[in-house]
Amino acid sequence: MAQSLAARASAHDLDLVAQATRGDRQAFGELVRRHGSAIRALLRRMGADATLADDLAQDAFLAAFEQIGEFRGDGPFQSWVKRIAARLYVKRWRRDGRVSLSEDVSELEAAMDGAFVGSDDRLDLDDALRSLAPGERVCVSLCYGAGFSHTEAAAALNAPLGTVKSHVKRGLDKLKARLAPPGKSLGLEANGHG
Amino acid sequence: MADRSFEAELERRFADSPVFPDADLFAARVGAVVDRGWGARRLLIGGLGLVGGLIGGIQVLRLDLVEHIGGFQTSTQTLVSSGLAHFPQVRAMADMISSGASMDAEVLWMSGGLAILALGLFVTRAFRDI
Repeated sequence: MAQSLAARASAHDLDLVAQATRGDRQAFGELVRRHGSAIRALLRRMGADATLADDLAQDAFLAAFEQIGEFRGDGPFQSWVKRIAARLYVKRWRRDGRVSLSEDVSELEAAMDGAFVGSDDRLDLDDALRSLAPGERVCVSLCYGAGFSHTEAAAALNAPLGTVKSHVKRGLDKLKARLAPPGKSLGLEANGHG
Repeated sequence: MADRSFEAELERRFADSPVFPDADLFAARVGAVVDRGWGARRLLIGGLGLVGGLIGGIQVLRLDLVEHIGGFQTSTQTLVSSGLAHFPQVRAMADMISSGASMDAEVLWMSGGLAILALGLFVTRAFRDI
């Protein structure tokens, strides 16, 4: 029953999930090792500080272990945990009442705008996300980082769909201006999307 | 078109997350919490199973089951004895077997204890399998 470390390290996520479903905690540990960084990174990109991101990522994995029988494998395991983690962050974000979606735009946008003027134009995603107002950052991260639809994001945030859409739109415009300013190529031609 | 391309690029960038240098440490931390929770849960469920079994056992005893079983045993013995009277060879064999298996209160207590233990183990195992 016990699997060697090497065999476990090379096992497919779905095999590890199947083992974890049967109570194999070491198989689940391998999943945490593989995907922990991605979950922590998403939470940081949503706006959590390092400590909160780690705590929430841990909670997300614990919830995933509890609910692992519900994972159907119709998408990557990492995406499934990302959605759990994102919901946990939104819950915390709303509970703490840091900024509501309706009020953050005018105040914080003014504070953030111009913060990157004169900065290196090769800002990476993390830096670019910091230029967004918290509501925009959460909405963009939910939709493009955690794979939520606009409707799902609105439900999670308990906000009107139109508000979420406008935050996403504004956030995208800002990110685009910083990540892909006119005349700059992002190498999209090789992407095949569009 | 350009927006779609940018959205796809953004998704790709989100998916392209760094590997933190303390990834193994984080995994170990989560693993320790999972193990701790797992152990505590098993203890809790086992304890609840044991308490449930004890309560069940006490209830059984309070219902004078011992007396009921004793009465049932006596009546069954009488019935069997009268039936076996017609078959002397079978009766001799039955006597030989029953001489080593008298069912008294001590045996019942012991059986009850074992049943409680088995119940606790069963509940623990069942929970782990779930």
